[in-house]
Amino acid sequence: MNTGVYLALLFVGAALVNNILLTRFIGLCPFFGVSNDFQTSVGMSLAVAFVMTMATAATWFFWNFVLVPLGVGEFLYIPAFILVIASLVQFMEMFLRRYVPGLYRSMGIYLPLITTNCAVFATATEAVKPGFFKMNLPYAFGFGEAIVYALGVSAGFALALLTFSALRERLELAPVPRVFKGNAIAFITAGLLSLGYVGMAGWFGL
Amino acid sequence: MNEWIATLRNGLMLENPLMRLMIGLCATLAVSTQVESSFYMGLAVIFVLLAGNLIISSFRGVIPDQVRIPVFIVVIASFVTVVDLTMKAYLPAVYAVLGIWIPLIVVNCLILGRAEAFAYRNPVGLSIADGLGMGLGFLIVIVGLAFFRELFGTGSLAWTGEPVVSLPEGYPAPAILVLFPGGFLTFGFLMAAFNALDIWREKRKEAGE
Repeated sequence: MNTGVYLALLFVGAALVNNILLTRFIGLCPFFGVSNDFQTSVGMSLAVAFVMTMATAATWFFWNFVLVPLGVGEFLYIPAFILVIASLVQFMEMFLRRYVPGLYRSMGIYLPLITTNCAVFATATEAVKPGFFKMNLPYAFGFGEAIVYALGVSAGFALALLTFSALRERLELAPVPRVFKGNAIAFITAGLLSLGYVGMAGWFGL
Repeated sequence: MNEWIATLRNGLMLENPLMRLMIGLCATLAVSTQVESSFYMGLAVIFVLLAGNLIISSFRGVIPDQVRIPVFIVVIASFVTVVDLTMKAYLPAVYAVLGIWIPLIVVNCLILGRAEAFAYRNPVGLSIADGLGMGLGFLIVIVGLAFFRELFGTGSLAWTGEPVVSLPEGYPAPAILVLFPGGFLTFGFLMAAFNALDIWREKRKEAGE
């Protein structure tokens, strides 16, 4: 398989077949927390895509050039990755506020929330540390693959979050039985939405 | 002592992390396809919550306010590493199922949320009660959810690979329950049941007055 096709499949696999929100349940807090409002969801998706890609790149370098050469990766990767991601987010927040105020206005307030978002940590860990990736590859990703994977995951995140928040805006007006009001009906809706993703399970042997 | 028990009960029922506070959901929905792995996940969360609350609460006078979140994260990450390596060494079969969910405990809102909202502001004894109550509340809900999903989704309950309880032959197991939509659907109905309980309680209260 040539590299271009492989990377395209990796992207689709990460975005649709293994959709991070609806098939793997990673990062559900923003999924239920901000999906009340479509505009907010757009900002959140942007911020997550940005942070996820940067964080994967940063942890990739940290793992391959610091943790592995020192031989401490196996037991230091959790604190190391979370600290790398946290300081990256902090740095990006300051950078954006100073130099790209337009972008900061549209996604700045979500940045601190994302530090402890499981989706970012999970994607970075899976792409960087061997042995976690769902597709059970015996090796860790190269830099290019890791970035494509992170982009694919964030595309899937955005797709699921935006469809769900559009659905939820209509749900506000729908007559819902009293006991299902609020989050209960949101979970059922998410369940039905994720039913659509069952159809894609197993595509490309992923 | 009363306060201690009240805090413990708070986590178990009134402020159950999953049903009431809606924190720590990701792991619950993903892991609750098997009773066994759910049980170990619950134990791992209890351990990290207890140890994290204990340490953070004992050092609460020393930790500067501005850097408290990074300090919490480092404390929690160390205990998660302990769980990660222990489970990998002694329970490799369970670890293979849980996989990424064990390191993900570090970013579980439940743990950090309790550190910030409770352990950082309360004495050690109460923080232990809170960790135990919240952890047990988590364990009960996740194992209950897994019990329902595994039993009715596969037709039997397995422990270390051996089926323990089986439904009668010919039960048409709806695989949807153990697939990912089942997680959302089951949790949605469970939540509706909790709402119904609330409404019933309110009605009874009104009738009593």
